Amino acid sequence: MFDTLAANAHLLFSGAQMTLFLSVASTVLATAAGVLLALIQLYGGMFGRALAEIFLYVMRGVPLLVMLFSIYYVLPYIGLDIPPLAGGILVVGFYFSAFMAEVFRGAILGVQRGQWDAARALGMHGHPMMLIAIVPQAVRLVGPPYVNTCIMLVKGTSLVSIIGIWELTLAGRQIVERTLSAFEIFGGVAFLYFVICFALSCYGRHLERRLRYAQS
Amino acid sequence: MNLNFTVIERNFSLFLEGLRVTVELSLLAIGLALLWGLVIVFARTSKFAASRILARSYLEVARNTPILVQMYFIYFGSGIAGYPISGYAAGLLALTLQNGGYFSEIYRAGIESVGPGQREAGRALGMPPHQVSGIVVLPQALRRVIPPISNQGVIIIKDTSLVSALSVAELTYQSKILADRTAATYEIFITLALFYIVITTIFSGVLRLLESRVRVVR
Repeated sequence: MFDTLAANAHLLFSGAQMTLFLSVASTVLATAAGVLLALIQLYGGMFGRALAEIFLYVMRGVPLLVMLFSIYYVLPYIGLDIPPLAGGILVVGFYFSAFMAEVFRGAILGVQRGQWDAARALGMHGHPMMLIAIVPQAVRLVGPPYVNTCIMLVKGTSLVSIIGIWELTLAGRQIVERTLSAFEIFGGVAFLYFVICFALSCYGRHLERRLRYAQS
Repeated sequence: MNLNFTVIERNFSLFLEGLRVTVELSLLAIGLALLWGLVIVFARTSKFAASRILARSYLEVARNTPILVQMYFIYFGSGIAGYPISGYAAGLLALTLQNGGYFSEIYRAGIESVGPGQREAGRALGMPPHQVSGIVVLPQALRRVIPPISNQGVIIIKDTSLVSALSVAELTYQSKILADRTAATYEIFITLALFYIVITTIFSGVLRLLESRVRVVR
């Protein structure tokens, strides 16, 4: 009964590879931009902070799909001709950098007051204090919410199919248009996303358990 | 880059029509998902193992697959199965199913965040179990779930834009049509983004007001 699915499985697998590539590339960008935004929010000057706040406010208020359409329609008019794939990665990466910034900010602020005081009492300040005392603890705190944001990002990459970037979801749509087996094919597409995201969420839960153990 | 908003002015009724659909779909999806979340949280905390396992599996599937794929599954699947439903209905169903799962987790975290001391105190005062839940635990949990509900609500409002892929004439779809027809793409997408920012700002503002209303006197 899964004939259509079996016959098209290779297409879905290459689609999934593309989705993984998009996810990894966007995650790298989102992480880098997210760390930067969190640091600006916490330690930046007034001007930098205001800019970061405006950026975050816009990213949180506007749907990812609208952002994707904007670059798809607007960039050609400005004469900027970047390949669609690069455009998709940029938009998905910057969109999720807003969520990442929140995660990193929360982790830095989540390091207990006493740890900061202890570091200062030992005569540390500035960068050494951050690098030796605070960041290692923040990294441990950041694990679970970071993984959750990565799951959101993987699911978010499905939207680039609407602007015509070929990945898992678009592969599924094309097969359905050809074979009309919607349940089977979209079931298969959903299953592949599920495998990626469920693996991530199990890892997130593992990190959370370890963190709880470390804190108790 | 010079902006010319006359295109927007002339087609403003299109935006308003799209806005109506977006707001209606968002409110329906948020309301239904809030209710569906209650059903799931009851199933998850039920004393029957089968119901707990079922609810848990549902939650994992709903959370770990993209909402767009869920929409396609329902929309194209129902059509090909011979029971076609509209893009609006398919979108609403997918939004309700996925976000009901998220809301159930929010409820559960809210109930668990009320410390066991509160329950014990209620019981020590001689309250029967339903009063302990109704008077002691739930009011405190309610206050704690409002901020995460507000965040998830904003995500729902933004995700309604995806039904444009099922040709539902909401804000994003109307704007896209207009962008295809005219050349005023900056102006159209700036206006569109502003519309969403205003809707989500109003929504989270209203919930913040609600949160301050149910604040427990300390």
